Amino acid sequence: MRRLLTALALAIVGAVMLAGLAGLPRPGDPAAPVHTHVAAHIVAHGVEDTGSRNLVTAVLLAYRAYDTFGEVVVIFAALAAVMVVLAPAAAPPPGKTAPPPSPAPAVAPSPVVGFVIRLLAPFIAAFAALVLWHGEALPGGGFQAGVILGALLVLLSVVMGRGLEQPLVPAAAARWLQAAGPLAFAAAMLIGLAGAGAVLGLPAEPAWGRHAVLLLLELGIGLGGAAIILGLYLQMRGH
Amino acid sequence: MEHLLPLAAALPLVAAALLPAVAWRRPDAAWGWAVAVGAGLLGIVGLLLRRLLQDGPFSYAVGGWAPPWGIELRFDALSAFSLGIALVGVAVLVFSGRYAQAAVPPQRRAWYYSLLLVNLGGLVGFACAADLFNLFVCMELVSVSSYALVAAGGGRIAALAAFKYLVAGAVSSLLVLFAVGILHALTGSLNMADVALRLADVEARGPVLLALGALTAGFMVKAALFPLHLWLPDAHASAPSPVSAVLSALVVKLGVLGLARVLPLFAGLDWLVLAPLHEGLAWLGAIAIVAGALAALLQEDLKLMLAYSTVSNIGYIVLGLGLATPLAMTGGLVHVFYHALIKATLFLAAGAIIHQAGFRTLRDLRGVGRAMPWTGVALSLGVLAIVGLPPTAGFLGKWYLLLGALEAGRPGFAVALLAGALLIFVYYLRILNAFYFRAPLREQILAVREAPLSMLLPVMALALLCLLGGLFGSGPVALAALAAARLAGGG
Repeated sequence: MRRLLTALALAIVGAVMLAGLAGLPRPGDPAAPVHTHVAAHIVAHGVEDTGSRNLVTAVLLAYRAYDTFGEVVVIFAALAAVMVVLAPAAAPPPGKTAPPPSPAPAVAPSPVVGFVIRLLAPFIAAFAALVLWHGEALPGGGFQAGVILGALLVLLSVVMGRGLEQPLVPAAAARWLQAAGPLAFAAAMLIGLAGAGAVLGLPAEPAWGRHAVLLLLELGIGLGGAAIILGLYLQMRGH
Repeated sequence: MEHLLPLAAALPLVAAALLPAVAWRRPDAAWGWAVAVGAGLLGIVGLLLRRLLQDGPFSYAVGGWAPPWGIELRFDALSAFSLGIALVGVAVLVFSGRYAQAAVPPQRRAWYYSLLLVNLGGLVGFACAADLFNLFVCMELVSVSSYALVAAGGGRIAALAAFKYLVAGAVSSLLVLFAVGILHALTGSLNMADVALRLADVEARGPVLLALGALTAGFMVKAALFPLHLWLPDAHASAPSPVSAVLSALVVKLGVLGLARVLPLFAGLDWLVLAPLHEGLAWLGAIAIVAGALAALLQEDLKLMLAYSTVSNIGYIVLGLGLATPLAMTGGLVHVFYHALIKATLFLAAGAIIHQAGFRTLRDLRGVGRAMPWTGVALSLGVLAIVGLPPTAGFLGKWYLLLGALEAGRPGFAVALLAGALLIFVYYLRILNAFYFRAPLREQILAVREAPLSMLLPVMALALLCLLGGLFGSGPVALAALAAARLAGGG
């Protein structure tokens, strides 16, 4: 009975939502407001305004950089949330500062897998760097590069058996790297204030200034994202 | 000077990310860092408020990108709630120093303060947002940190409550995002003023109605408006007490502020009549006042009682918005601010008592008022204020609401309002009776000592604000009246 009611309620809500959506402009309609108002302005002026040939980056890191700053902090908050919920609740016993070692994986990864991953590691890292560097011109950027780099760090941690007690990135450095995203935005805020007269503005002088700011943001987002992914993995490994 | 507007939210957010790194070698630095950031936030908000009072509302184009191309921030009468955020934030951060030592495991403490700062930054950003997507991002900052903070103290009940909160909150966030997407598809813009302008030319009625419905439902869940309040009591009662204070005083107000921000977007449509929506909100508000108060009456657990009282008080605020007369909306909005101060006082005082005594039900806590005289006084002041006795802070909102209900020619709502106040009076009498006039049931209560100064000071300061709030209420009332006029004027 209860299931029937739930299904009924869902069907009604779904029908109302679909009916409402039916009135939206057709996807891909060139005359739709999404294509004629703000987007049209950005397509027309984005490259010139921001110096980035990738308009997605122009929106993400210039026009709507403040939102991206918020998103980066949301990603950091996700890490903080996992830490605050999963970090051991009991204090370590006196005399013992290190937490008990997390259990080793039940099945050791095969030496072939370990070898291949270590062999591929420099290439994956290079690819991450390329995605980051080219984010300004091609599809890509800090978020994507961060995920690639983070996945690499997780893979390496798995095949090398590195857990919380012996992480790939030393814990003190990891704390700073995890803050890299918000920190890069803080720097960009101050640079914008000094160079463009507005928080998060792109400096007009020198000519390479705005490229440098965009690259700094990409770098912060990428490194921070990778460090956070590794942190999430390490914290959840024991559970 | 005007650059302070984007920095108001950015300061706590960046400081939050840095905190675990700063506190890595010296865990004791976490508290000092957080309190310093809270004080900085209070200073910035004070400067912004001074500018608002001198020159009126002002905007900031982040990055120099003029709206609607870029993100606009706006500090207006509604954003003045930032003062409440900063005041409660500082009090909670100071209070957390001793409290977290006992209630939050050491390895979680830095992250706990970090999440509190994220929460405060998100709240300030939300109050100053003039862009729909920015509003959503700030809401997510607040929500994600709130879910985790509920579970920060550990324990199975808290984890379960946090999960329930997460599910309800995620659904409401998705509803809001869904509506923002529809509005963007209809208008091609995200800037609120621009959306309001362009929405007037939109011919398709279905999507507009859907967006309005999704926004209203989403923010109603965030505000825990009856009957969508089911996630609230457990989450607010099982969280660490300073977190309960933030959640009850500030985070539920997000839903109310959100409603007050987005409803005017639809006011310019000549085919859309908002009156039925207002009527529905007024009814839900009135029901929430009585139902929340009745539920609170039945609780034995001190914090659960306060949590249900929040459901009741959100009812007052929404009733004010629903009645939609200038006086009623003024009352509702001024109560947004003062309820924040009062509920923070109550939750922090209750937290201090539970922390010192180790009990949390009224039966077990009998006689504790005499063992902790100063905290008892603060709690009593908060109680008087929440009942709405003049000249305390709680009086103003209810008085204007009463006038507004009569002005609207709806004496029925005035009766609900008074009935709610009466019920509140009864259940707070229960608290005072248990704390002062009943013989202790537990002998440990006799040995309970007054809370340490770092807990007592923020509680007393907030209690003093509750007491004086009514006497010096002309400023907040004037700001609330301004915001109400803007709401009613549809711009």
